[in-house]
Amino acid sequence: MKIVDIRNLVFSFSSAGEPVINDVSMTIQKDEIVGIVGPSGSGKSTLLRLIAGLEMPWQGSIYIAEKPVVTDKLFVQPENRGVGMVFQDYALFPHMTVKENIMFGLSRLPRREREPRIAEMLELVKMDKFSERYPHELSGGQQQRIALARALAPKPNVLLMDEPFSNLDADLKAEIRADLCVILKKANMTCMVVTHDQADVEAICDRRITMGQRQKEDESH
Amino acid sequence: MKRKLIRRSIRKEFNGWWAISLIGATVILLPILFVFSSLFLKPNENWFHIREYLLGTYVKETFILVISTGVLTAILGVTLAWLVTAYDFPFKRFFRWGLILPLAIPPYIAAYTYRTMLSYTGVVQATLRNEFGYQINPEWLNISSLRGAIFIFTLFLYPYVFLITKSFLENQSASFFENARLLGRKPFFIFWKVVLPLARPAVISGVVLVIYEVLSDYGVTSYFGIHTITTAIFQTWFGMYDVQTAMRLAAWLMLIVVGLFIIERLLRRRQRYHLPAKSRPLAAMKLKGAGAAAAFVYCTAVFLAGFFIPFIQLIAWAVLTFDTVWNATFSTLLYQTLYVALISTMLVMILAVIVANVCRKPSAFTYFLAKWVTTGYSIPGAIIAIGVLAIFIGLDQWLAPLYEMMGMADAPLILSLSIVMLITGYVIRFMATGYNAVEVGYEKIGIKYAEASRMLGSGVTKTFFKVELPLLKGAIFSGFILTFVEICKELPLALLLRPFNFETLSTKTYQFAKDERIHEASISSLIIIAISALSIIVLQMVNKKVKE
Repeated sequence: MKIVDIRNLVFSFSSAGEPVINDVSMTIQKDEIVGIVGPSGSGKSTLLRLIAGLEMPWQGSIYIAEKPVVTDKLFVQPENRGVGMVFQDYALFPHMTVKENIMFGLSRLPRREREPRIAEMLELVKMDKFSERYPHELSGGQQQRIALARALAPKPNVLLMDEPFSNLDADLKAEIRADLCVILKKANMTCMVVTHDQADVEAICDRRITMGQRQKEDESH
Repeated sequence: MKRKLIRRSIRKEFNGWWAISLIGATVILLPILFVFSSLFLKPNENWFHIREYLLGTYVKETFILVISTGVLTAILGVTLAWLVTAYDFPFKRFFRWGLILPLAIPPYIAAYTYRTMLSYTGVVQATLRNEFGYQINPEWLNISSLRGAIFIFTLFLYPYVFLITKSFLENQSASFFENARLLGRKPFFIFWKVVLPLARPAVISGVVLVIYEVLSDYGVTSYFGIHTITTAIFQTWFGMYDVQTAMRLAAWLMLIVVGLFIIERLLRRRQRYHLPAKSRPLAAMKLKGAGAAAAFVYCTAVFLAGFFIPFIQLIAWAVLTFDTVWNATFSTLLYQTLYVALISTMLVMILAVIVANVCRKPSAFTYFLAKWVTTGYSIPGAIIAIGVLAIFIGLDQWLAPLYEMMGMADAPLILSLSIVMLITGYVIRFMATGYNAVEVGYEKIGIKYAEASRMLGSGVTKTFFKVELPLLKGAIFSGFILTFVEICKELPLALLLRPFNFETLSTKTYQFAKDERIHEASISSLIIIAISALSIIVLQMVNKKVKE
């Protein structure tokens, strides 16, 4: 099943400028972990934001889980797309505890199923002792795990990760990368990871897509 | 292609928040456009009379007032700001905030306080006469003149220049100043050749605020019998009930404001120097002996004249009249003022939060939307009042058949005699105060939390209440206080738009003063001053927080 299907996408930040994304098409299959790489300014993060519904493409269409979310006639708002995202700086709500942060995405789940789901998520990211902490009381690596748990909790069709390791120390990075790989496979998650580091792709991705003048697709692993 | 893109954008962005923002912007813009439209109507006889005999004086006195006040506040504000940032002298820490206090006394209150103090029976002449047997020429102390108005405006509005220039000097000037000293220049030369040119944009924006206040003023000018365009607008309405001519005058005043706005832009256009982002405060130089004494005397004189003396005088009068004024009528007055200000402020804040939320996504359209809703602040109250008045009278005429149907044909003016009109005026005029505070708040939290919330399945409205409102609380609070205070102080709008027999603290104060019952005006004046001081404290607290 095609989880993400992008057709002839065009996007530009201003009407005068050169399009950042010019006629891009791609598909992502279920349970794939795909690395999006390319030089800065090649539109990697913008691609994620277009899929998420935070930006609107000038042309082209996007289908998620075989349902259209952007076409000429339609724009599905981000909250209704079933897409999860881990932001570069995590964006954990500073006025909510870890538990409340994860609970935030579960409003569509019946009330009695919420607590077990939170527990399950915290266990998955090995943070079960931290549920009452506030984000500022956590280290960078811990914050990232919570951001991941929060994004996975509502069971999105696809998880988008924007430079997930850029805010971490180098020695922490290898460890967290390995953990992430395990977590994503355990959760059976389809995932798109934007990164500028080839090593990230080699460590966790099944496939890589290179953004640039012409987007290239090549198989690795 | 283009049209398709716009359709796509609308599909993405449009929601209830947009709809409310657009309605709000329309309500705000309508009276202002209405005033402008009067320029294209055929003028009536009154207008020809005014143009022939009076307009020349109005324009001349307005210009003299604006230019003299502008120049004098610039001198006073800049010198004081330079003194308290670059030098150390006795009581400097006190003067840093003490010299802001004159802003807490609205100029119309200062005007009647000073005039009474300097009158034949006032404290100055009486003391000279009784204690020293000296009869001063009363003409010397007559401040009911253009000169007197310039004196009052300068003394009570200079803090705008002082505040903005001071914060500029504190944050930006250290490295330039120290470099210039290392290059072997004396402080005075550096002030003149380096600091002043760099501070020019800050000084200009302070002076422009002063000029807007002067152009808006009705209290001081009418009390001193000066003919400005604003007083003319009032006379045409209260004297002749001629909305059309009043609107035409307002339109001309508006053109002056627009001209001023353009001049300000031109003056500042090439002045946006690239200043270093990280800065440290200027290390103050210690003044000794005569220098220290001169600085102390200068600051003390301004503080005494601009705050302490009128404040003490008001307290003395308040003690005299406390028993007669402080009664049930007065508490009704207080209640009415606070009640109307509270409702207006809440409307301002609600609209501000909604529009600022929509305007976070930068686009040509949101840029104009943000400009629209905040135009009221740079437009004199009298212009807004006349626009609102004209629109409400028009609405009543338009709704007349409906009133008749409802059996109220004998009372054809329903909306234009109600408190709704005053509240509308307040909201238009003070939207910017609330909006700017909220905008800063939104900028501080950024868009990422909102986006994260949307990705977790919450819509725009739920995102606002669950995520953004808790983070915006501080910004909304300070915006609320600032707006509330402005509304409590406001005079011209309240005078023109209040319902019959409805008094607020400021209109009552003005009424007392106009009826020469100066002493009785003192208690309401003191309350207004206390409320204003509150906003200064909040502003200082916010500034401190920002710096941290």
